Amino acid sequence: MQKSINLRSFLTASWLGWQIESNWTDPFLFATYSIIKPVAGAAILVLMYSIVTQGNFDSPVFAYLYLGNAFYQYVPAVLTGVSWTIIDDREHYRTLKYIYTAPVNIPFYLFGRAVAKFIVGTFGVVITIAAGVLFLNVPLDWSRVDWPLFLVALFLGVLMLALGGLILAGITLMTARHSYYIGDVVAGGLFLFTGAIFPLEVLPGWLRPVGYILPITYWLELIRRSLVGAVAEAFPTFTALSNGDLLLILAGSSLVFGIASIFIFRYCDHQARERGLIDQTTNY
Amino acid sequence: MSQPLAVKTENLGRIYKIRNNRKEKQRELLALENVNLEIREGELFGLLGPNGAGKTTLIKILTTLLSPTSGQAWVAGFDVTKQPAEVRKRINMVSGGETSGYGLLTVRENLWMFAQFYGIPSPEANRRIQKLAEIVGIADRLNTKSSDLSTGLRQKMNIIRGFLTDPEVLFLDEPTLGLDVGASRDVRSFIRRWMDENPHRTLLLTTHYMVEAEELCDRVAIINQGRVLACDTPARLKQNLRHEIFFQVWVIAPRLLDDYSFLQIPGVKHFHQFPEEDSLRLEITLEEEAVLSEVINEFAAQSARILRLEKREPTLEDVFVQLVGQRMEEVENVTVSAN
Amino acid sequence: MSLFPPIEKKRSGWQLFLMTVVGRSYPRVVGMQRERSWMFFDVFLPLLSVAAYVFVYRAIGAPEDYVGFVVVGGAMTAFWMNVLWSMSSQLYWEKEQGNLALYIISPAPMMAILLGMAVGGLFATLLRAIAIIAVGSLIFNVTYAVSSFWQLIAVFSLSMIALYGLGMMSASIFLLLSREAWHLANLAMEPVYLVSGMYFPVKNLGFWAAAAASVIPLTLGLDAMRQLVFASGPTLGFLRVETEIGILIILSIVFVTAARYLLAYIERLAVREGRLTENRR
Ligand SMILES: Nc1ncnc2c1ncn2[C@@H]1O[C@H](COP(=O)(O)OP(=O)(O)OP(=O)(O)O)[C@@H](O)[C@H]1O
Ligand SMILES: [Mg+2]
Repeated sequence: MQKSINLRSFLTASWLGWQIESNWTDPFLFATYSIIKPVAGAAILVLMYSIVTQGNFDSPVFAYLYLGNAFYQYVPAVLTGVSWTIIDDREHYRTLKYIYTAPVNIPFYLFGRAVAKFIVGTFGVVITIAAGVLFLNVPLDWSRVDWPLFLVALFLGVLMLALGGLILAGITLMTARHSYYIGDVVAGGLFLFTGAIFPLEVLPGWLRPVGYILPITYWLELIRRSLVGAVAEAFPTFTALSNGDLLLILAGSSLVFGIASIFIFRYCDHQARERGLIDQTTNY
Repeated sequence: MSQPLAVKTENLGRIYKIRNNRKEKQRELLALENVNLEIREGELFGLLGPNGAGKTTLIKILTTLLSPTSGQAWVAGFDVTKQPAEVRKRINMVSGGETSGYGLLTVRENLWMFAQFYGIPSPEANRRIQKLAEIVGIADRLNTKSSDLSTGLRQKMNIIRGFLTDPEVLFLDEPTLGLDVGASRDVRSFIRRWMDENPHRTLLLTTHYMVEAEELCDRVAIINQGRVLACDTPARLKQNLRHEIFFQVWVIAPRLLDDYSFLQIPGVKHFHQFPEEDSLRLEITLEEEAVLSEVINEFAAQSARILRLEKREPTLEDVFVQLVGQRMEEVENVTVSAN
Repeated sequence: MSLFPPIEKKRSGWQLFLMTVVGRSYPRVVGMQRERSWMFFDVFLPLLSVAAYVFVYRAIGAPEDYVGFVVVGGAMTAFWMNVLWSMSSQLYWEKEQGNLALYIISPAPMMAILLGMAVGGLFATLLRAIAIIAVGSLIFNVTYAVSSFWQLIAVFSLSMIALYGLGMMSASIFLLLSREAWHLANLAMEPVYLVSGMYFPVKNLGFWAAAAASVIPLTLGLDAMRQLVFASGPTLGFLRVETEIGILIILSIVFVTAARYLLAYIERLAVREGRLTENRR
């Protein structure tokens, strides 16, 4: 019974999320919209790189930064997808209180609502990578991709991000609607620590530990290793660790993270009910 | 020249173009048709009609939020489409159930903010807020965050917002929505006092509560499906019904009665039945008293036992029934297509 | 005694304009007082993402002045975010909540309402910009060499006027659209960062692309500011500072005037189509 409620919450919410995400315009405009944002984001880095290096796209540094940035798009997409739902339902559609009173599992509902953003995010990732391979010599050789490793890492990573989104959703329950997407700013902040666009060695020593704590760091390294092994080898950060070690660390830290996120969400949720914040509107 | 007009509409009409989804073809929905109204300065004017009749649409046009698709309208002497800025200096509007203002601000702060938009200096604004709050009875809640207010308190805040700026013409769209009986009564007496105090104030109010229109308004327009069916003082509207006799009857019957056989009786104009807890209430309109005996015979024929029978004065509800042929709560506003 | 005395004197004209700006900025200022969580999310985290771009330059061995470029660009991003999120997109929420209709029927000018929203958010924006500049100097050792203080003030003020004018123009589409406009505003982040040269000298886009990008006031504003505050600035600049100031003056006038007319025009359009009060989608 419980299981079916979770599944139903997730599926219904996925459907709803997709309707909301895609229905505001015709498919053509929607596709354009989904492409422009990631491509512009990548182009900033490409230009920065090419200005300084006079267009030396063959260096592994470039592939490192390009792929890291491409996959990092999942971070804001999933974090925002899960957490923004609270604001959208609470202050815009004003349905949060009905969701709360319905037999719905809230975390699963939130995950479901994030699916649409995940799909759009995937679209962005694919487009970015395709552009890199076609125009910028990103050394991605399909025959040498370690698919099982890639898929397992991707799955674990997205799961971990969704749980992270749950923490933010909890925080959102207790805070006002500000003018930004909490998921996006948090992702923007963590960009610094996770070795997405430069190896951790570049950071000053006292900042590096933050990167070693974050599961995202290991996730991105695994993605790089599975797609472009040679590039990953060029950077020494994790050479001491095998793929298995990394997977174990990712799984382990995701687990810890997951447990923490469930407790944090429960705590915030409890606080929000206690203080009557479930149906507040905080426009200001 | 007679008294100046606060509101005037001339063949006013509004058609909405609607489309349920992107693929569907556009349809047209006739929300207002050929509305001609003249509201004098100093009048408390009511618009009475069922859901979807077009009341809010009319108010939106008069408050410069929507332009008409045909005809013209003037408020305080200014054309609502051509001189909106002049109109806006002189009006205010409150809608029932609105969620305006900012949740993080207190009631006082919200009201002060709106006063700023009308150029009312702060000391004066604060004085007026205090006073209005005392009259409406929320003075002790002025420092509550507006997100923490109950529906009724919130509506009282909205109502204060409308009166705060001392508009020449005030539009109230279902002002007592969400208020309990006592609070509605307070609001009504407040409205009446505001009007009585200054003969230059004009107020246009929409409602679907008969009592509200009857008790409060100098004149009432009955509106249905976008058309104004009648417009006069409540007394005169009811005058038209002076040839009819209204009975309210409570009976105990084994099942719902057969309307048709009652309407067959010559002289029976309307027959409506409402199941209540342990009896059946009937609203019957007759052309002359003599018909009553036949009606009573029909009760016996359908084995209904009479509990109580009373003759009553006509109400606006009866006026509505006479005009539309249905009771207000029965009107199903099916979408009217313009073509 | 009269219970509802008439109002002695209602202000109008520029007094009403100012009162409206103050009135609408009040909830933002107070709201931020009552809800402090924005400090972390709106000041601290963006600081980190600017730092990320600094380290990219370090990683690929760029000249140190590029670090300064990113810092100044990052600080100016804050203002663009203010325009987009506190002014344009905020109108979407106002509409959904029913406030927009009340603003429209009031005698207050729409530009004053929009300005009020922006001014209210300006405190957070300034804090963020200052924090980025401060961290840039303290942690990344960015050294500034201001060549003309007055020109710097002029460039900054002009870019702001033009930028907020542009913001008001884009806000006008929110009168007509709702969720669509929200997405458009969202779309105006990365592409604008790209073409306005937030993180690199705009000259590198090539002359024509840079010229086209100059329509966004940030582009020339940033370029001129960088020329004025960094030693190597002038060599990487796009046009001469004086020329850029001239263009910024034109942009300011054009955008502010256009915003006025566009707001009035779109309001009329929205009134005709009945879009001012429609909500929930
Ligand atoms: N923006 C709109 N687009 C399309 N149709 C609309 C729009 N606004 C109102 N309508 C339609 O116009 C008709 C009149 O609506 P209006 O809101 O004026 O009715 P009302 O008399 O105020 O009803 P209620 O008592 O329910 O408030 C209704 O059929 C409604 O569905
Ligand atoms: Mg209505």
